[in-house]
Amino acid sequence: MATSTKERLTNRLFTSRGEPGSIHPALYALVGMLLAVVLIPFVYLVIRAFEKPVPEIIDLLLRSKTLEVLLTTSVLLAVVVAVNIVLGTLISAGLHFVQLPKTHLLIVAAVLPLAIPSYVFTYTWLALFPSLSGTLAAAFVLVLTTLPYMLLAILVSLRRIDNGFIEVARTLGLSRVQIFFRVILPQIRGSISAGALLAGLYVLSDFGAVSLLNVETLTVSIQNMFKSSYDRSAASVISLLLILASILFIAADEKIKDKNAKENVFKRLATSDSRIQSFRLKSIVLISVGVYALLAVVVPFYVLISRFISNPNPIDISGLFTASISTISVSALGALIALLFSAPLGFLIAAHAGRFSKVSERIILIGHALPGVVVGLALVSLGSKLGPIYQSVFLLAFAYALLFLAKAVASMTFSLQLVPQVLKEVAATLGKSKTKVSTSVVFPIALPSIGLGTLLVFLTAMKELPATLMLRPTGMDTLATQIWSYASINRFNDAAPYALLLVLIAAVPTFLLSLPSREVSTETNKNDSQVGSLT
Amino acid sequence: MTSLDVSHLTVNFGDRTVIDDLSFNLKEGEIASLLGPSGCGKTTLLRAIAGLLQPREGTIRFGSQLVGVSTVVLPPHKRRTGYVPQQGALFPHLNVAKNIAFGLDKKELSTQEINATVSEMLSLIGMSGYENQMPTELSGGQQTRVALARALAVKPRMVLLDEPFSALDAELRNELRSEVVALLRKQGTTAILVTHDREEALVSSDKVVLMRDGKIAQYGTPEEVYESPVSPSVAVSTGDALILEAEQSDNGSTRYAISSLESESKSAIASNGYVVIRPEEISVSKNSSLGVAGTLIQLDYYGHDAMLVIKLENGSEIIRARVAGPMDFEVGDIVKVEHRGPIRFFSNQ
Repeated sequence: MATSTKERLTNRLFTSRGEPGSIHPALYALVGMLLAVVLIPFVYLVIRAFEKPVPEIIDLLLRSKTLEVLLTTSVLLAVVVAVNIVLGTLISAGLHFVQLPKTHLLIVAAVLPLAIPSYVFTYTWLALFPSLSGTLAAAFVLVLTTLPYMLLAILVSLRRIDNGFIEVARTLGLSRVQIFFRVILPQIRGSISAGALLAGLYVLSDFGAVSLLNVETLTVSIQNMFKSSYDRSAASVISLLLILASILFIAADEKIKDKNAKENVFKRLATSDSRIQSFRLKSIVLISVGVYALLAVVVPFYVLISRFISNPNPIDISGLFTASISTISVSALGALIALLFSAPLGFLIAAHAGRFSKVSERIILIGHALPGVVVGLALVSLGSKLGPIYQSVFLLAFAYALLFLAKAVASMTFSLQLVPQVLKEVAATLGKSKTKVSTSVVFPIALPSIGLGTLLVFLTAMKELPATLMLRPTGMDTLATQIWSYASINRFNDAAPYALLLVLIAAVPTFLLSLPSREVSTETNKNDSQVGSLT
Repeated sequence: MTSLDVSHLTVNFGDRTVIDDLSFNLKEGEIASLLGPSGCGKTTLLRAIAGLLQPREGTIRFGSQLVGVSTVVLPPHKRRTGYVPQQGALFPHLNVAKNIAFGLDKKELSTQEINATVSEMLSLIGMSGYENQMPTELSGGQQTRVALARALAVKPRMVLLDEPFSALDAELRNELRSEVVALLRKQGTTAILVTHDREEALVSSDKVVLMRDGKIAQYGTPEEVYESPVSPSVAVSTGDALILEAEQSDNGSTRYAISSLESESKSAIASNGYVVIRPEEISVSKNSSLGVAGTLIQLDYYGHDAMLVIKLENGSEIIRARVAGPMDFEVGDIVKVEHRGPIRFFSNQ
């Protein structure tokens, strides 16, 4: 019996999904610890909220102010999501099925607004129309901000629909409209739901746009409570309400997704000769994409550039420089922490389909439901107990890691699943130990995708506003906080260089994402799941 | 190269028994085919031999070395098997040369030695000059060849091929198969080939392991399993077979729809059962005086031969006979059918 226990475990880890395999106890422990860390803000909020006696909590929840805020939030959410679903489905179907000149450029134009955070959108529109305010204006700005999530999600699944389905349906006598409703729509329902989830969570967690437009949603309420009265318990109660709303939203998406989970194995691709040639449809698609790009790309850039040029004050180069450095370093640190956290979680979910990995996935999703304001609130309140970490760069970076962990894990899981089990097995039979298999096969193949995922977390962190406002060390300014502080006192000219810099940096990976994905050796699209990492 | 001994092997997936108390062995340098319908456990058996999964009971030995038992397993990376999965599974991030060199130990071998092995393997598979191509730039057949070279480069004790040709079209498939088998023979490699293609199994191997529901239905040389099947269902899985109802009498003579007159007997019937006849063992002629008469009702023409479907006049039995081309039959012909081969009788009891 020369073989050691370690070798036996090593060997078991080679067994593929579904076959008897076991998880290394160390991985259990590590993942358990990480999940506990992820749950810290949530647990803290629960404890803090229930410091209030229950009748008071009920009073707080039922007072007219709370109900009013809840109503505003719901209306905003419903309007933005509904408009997104309709516009997103129609425009992406148009982009996919109608014969258009330079489709790739049109897609880039329609997805580019992803680089612009909601508060920059709002500020550029406010610079043009200073009287803009209210729920409708907020809905307008938030649709501009979130539409690309819908488009990307739906386009990805449209690309996966086998053209054979459509041809069969046509030979069976269905009209184009019938085909759309009976063949296409059922197959893209899951991704419409996924896009709606991203858009909805964005609306629920948005702080910048609504605040600039004087709309009091749950996030603004929490921030106000936090700033004015310092009644942390009340703020915690409202935070839990917000988390509950997000979780309900995620649960709805899960329900829709589950139904579609089994129909994932689509082949490729509508060939160009099967695209619709109709001049009328062509015009409609071109005009809608054109209008969207005008509102969401041309106007913001026009305002930013003209404000930048016409600014009579000299640009504060050193301020710009320090803000960029702080932004980049704290976001990079956040992305790094998220990467480190996501590695064991992603490995677990990618390799083992057990109950433990299912539960882990759910817990990470709760992290997805925590808006920046809420994480900010929890960590600020906890922070004072943490001694030296409080108000340090580390705490802010940690907040970013928590906020974007779900995206990092999704990207990590996806990247690791890019490596087919059989390659690992072949490597093993060729004499490579488990560690060697990881270094010589798994990581080389997964690394580009992991890198792209990390880059996206980094960029999302750069744009994050509310948690940054609450947790940044005294005296530290980031691009986002600078834009915010100038824009909120209507000094649009001074905000312009910061906003321009932020948007330009964010535009680069957005551009990369909007390119039609390259086929890798495996049949999966690299960009597909990265869409999920975008918020 | 090594011999293989699999003894009382049992593999479970959860509650399901996939390999059930299975034993067989291979001599050094022999090529065996694992033949059976999908789901019969042939890939599982291969993976157990490679060490990619853990058996529940039984032992696997390479030569005298115990590599797998239920409690202690030599992990796959210490078994030195050359595993060639379906479609090759080349590493997509490595070029052809690096794929072939993947299993060579950089600590033990110098760069020159590694390069020499790579060129040797490339010339062996007839792909010299492809060193720097990426897997995606290769055709399906080339990918399979490189996968084989990658497996052979480490001088494996045994090559394990899991339906490596299944993704290829028929012509390329036959060509590549005979190339690969010739190569394995030249190297004297012990090898196991998983396949569901009965011709592939017969033509490629020294031994055929016929699997059914996790067990061995029959094990032997291709001739043995084809000529002397142990049951009618085994006969069907190694080739076309005609199964006719039959009666066997005390003195050993057998009576069935096209039995010859000599075997007719007045003795008492001892048992009922079936005979198994290969279609090529039936001779068909238009103007013979011998044999049983029937009508040609269908003719499937393959070029090199043809399958004749004949309805016998004395009953409802349908006979399928293979005749070599060229031939001059037409549907509607009245023909005489005669069985010229061994009588394989299987009793119902």
